[in-house]
Amino acid sequence: MFEHYWNAFATVLLPQNILAIGLGGLWGLLAGALPGISTSMGVVLLLSFTYTLSPMTAFSMLVAAYCGGITGGSITSILFGIPGEPSSVPTVIEGHALAKQGHAAFALWTFLLCSIFGGIFSVLVMMAATPLIANFALKFGPPEFFALTILGLSVVSGLSGGSLLKGFLSCSFGLFLATIGTDGITGGERFTFDTMILLGGINFVTAMVGLLAVSEILIEAEEPFKEYKGHVGYRGMRAEMPKFSLFRKNWFNLIRSPIIGTIVGALPGAGATIASFLAYGEAARTSKEPEKFGHGAIDGLMASESANNASTGGSMTILLSLGLPGSNTTAMMIAAFMIHGMQPGPLLLSTHPEIVYGIFVAMLLSNLFLLVLTIMGIRLFLELNRLPYSVFSAAIIILCVIGAFGLQNSVDDLFVMFAFGLIGYVMRKFGIPVAPAILALVLGDMAELALRRSLLLSLGDPMILVSRPISVILLAAAVFSIVYPLFKKPKMLQGL
Amino acid sequence: MKKGEIVLGAFCVAFFSFMFYEAVKLHGVGRFGEVGSGFWPMLSLGIALLLSLCWLIVTIVTFSRAKGRAVEEPSKETIAAAWSRRKKVALSILSIIIYIVIMPWVGFILSTLLFIPAFALALEERRKMVLIISPFLITAITILVFAKFITIPFPKGAGIFAAFSRLFY
Repeated sequence: MFEHYWNAFATVLLPQNILAIGLGGLWGLLAGALPGISTSMGVVLLLSFTYTLSPMTAFSMLVAAYCGGITGGSITSILFGIPGEPSSVPTVIEGHALAKQGHAAFALWTFLLCSIFGGIFSVLVMMAATPLIANFALKFGPPEFFALTILGLSVVSGLSGGSLLKGFLSCSFGLFLATIGTDGITGGERFTFDTMILLGGINFVTAMVGLLAVSEILIEAEEPFKEYKGHVGYRGMRAEMPKFSLFRKNWFNLIRSPIIGTIVGALPGAGATIASFLAYGEAARTSKEPEKFGHGAIDGLMASESANNASTGGSMTILLSLGLPGSNTTAMMIAAFMIHGMQPGPLLLSTHPEIVYGIFVAMLLSNLFLLVLTIMGIRLFLELNRLPYSVFSAAIIILCVIGAFGLQNSVDDLFVMFAFGLIGYVMRKFGIPVAPAILALVLGDMAELALRRSLLLSLGDPMILVSRPISVILLAAAVFSIVYPLFKKPKMLQGL
Repeated sequence: MKKGEIVLGAFCVAFFSFMFYEAVKLHGVGRFGEVGSGFWPMLSLGIALLLSLCWLIVTIVTFSRAKGRAVEEPSKETIAAAWSRRKKVALSILSIIIYIVIMPWVGFILSTLLFIPAFALALEERRKMVLIISPFLITAITILVFAKFITIPFPKGAGIFAAFSRLFY
């Protein structure tokens, strides 16, 4: 195995591959940071440039773009409050809150270091334990997926702020939103009221942009006129660099979150969103200062970011070892393998070991490159805070419009985004947290399909949900996660 | 805010009740022996209805308890400030909705050029340089990055507006 790694390092360190990692990483960062292009779209756009490249150069570029996209999405989440992906929602909640307090550079530093740490951690796990993770992922059937989504939803208590009642109300609203559109099993219409606009369901990116970014702009519009953003007097990158003691204090969080990210990222269809929310929820549950969550909790930001990036390694593990896509982006990678005459799966390691080990090494180097690239890029993004406040807000709305329009090139999505902007504004005004609604919107569909598939398998017997060890453990963890805060902080129930 | 909370709570109860009724209609849609289309919506809407009812009751109880206590009348300045805040939000919402509505008709470029100063004015921006220069600068950058480089097919508008948009993308 060491011989393979030695060869892979020697190959990836060739100048053309290093250049490919640099360009791919830069493109990924841009694609992740710009609204309207998701990470998967960034990889797809890059795919056509890799036709003529050698397989190793092509995959170096693509995996760098993948890692860059996941990292770049958090820059706009922290600075502008616009989440590029659902997995960035915890980053918006905590990172943007820190930016509003004038600590944008501190939040960016922390996100960057944790992201890179999470990415490298997962690659190292991937290098050492690919067969082990792949075997574990194969044990996941519909009952386990249902239990996992319920565990994902159980972090609502961590996202609820002061009132569990409002948090769960927001969550159930999100679950209802997830049912709108065409039923995934029967193909029937639900709550569409004979309109075309709702037939495809509510796209969670559109809803997320409206609920988080547009509502934020409307809330800020209430404040008295200001020439520049309140935190324009931010301190420089060097002055805001986090101290080592911060990471030492959060060492357990920093180990736990990438583990969650790597394992959950390896589950097909689960991906970064559940990983990021689960790690965030765990951080909220075990934090010594849980009241800070929602108002700029640095441990929440660290947890979500390290888990988010660690999911890339998990997704690649399952793709390379089993040929299953763990996320949208890795599904695009399958196309790249086919273009270069390869089939990802169990045989790939024996037929093309140089490619598999080369991808591991390229991901490792990509994360290191991203550290340098992002530090340079962050300085430019921070300069945007010097724009006049009114223009800055208008620009954010335009970016939201582009983000929503770019998904399907449809003006209808803009109306949906606007409607969610208003809903988010009303929710915030009445202290109803929006994050649980987004979480439920993303996971609701997955949970429903997993439950119905489980019941189809068992011919309607619900005991299938508690008849397998993994699902029992996950459901028990979900129950604990919901019940624990009620005993720890019973006042949350009264917090209306 | 308590009155507003009661109104919103009552709205939530009415909304979720109506949707629950719609979900009941879906019950049984599906093959024999399967969990139908209505099961999950009924479950989520049932919980939502229950929680919004709880919220409404608790808010009404809190409101009626607080009713007996003497409340300080808000000063004229406070009322004026509240109205100013509401006006800004209403104008912001209006400019966003007009922007979205006119975009398919006049195209992305012109609607964005109009939206930026309108939104900035709604936020009480009065600096002439900012109002004049920023719309052109932001629209140019947006078109360059998103329409030219990433080739997002923004709405071009109709008739003469489409001809104008085609000059740029």
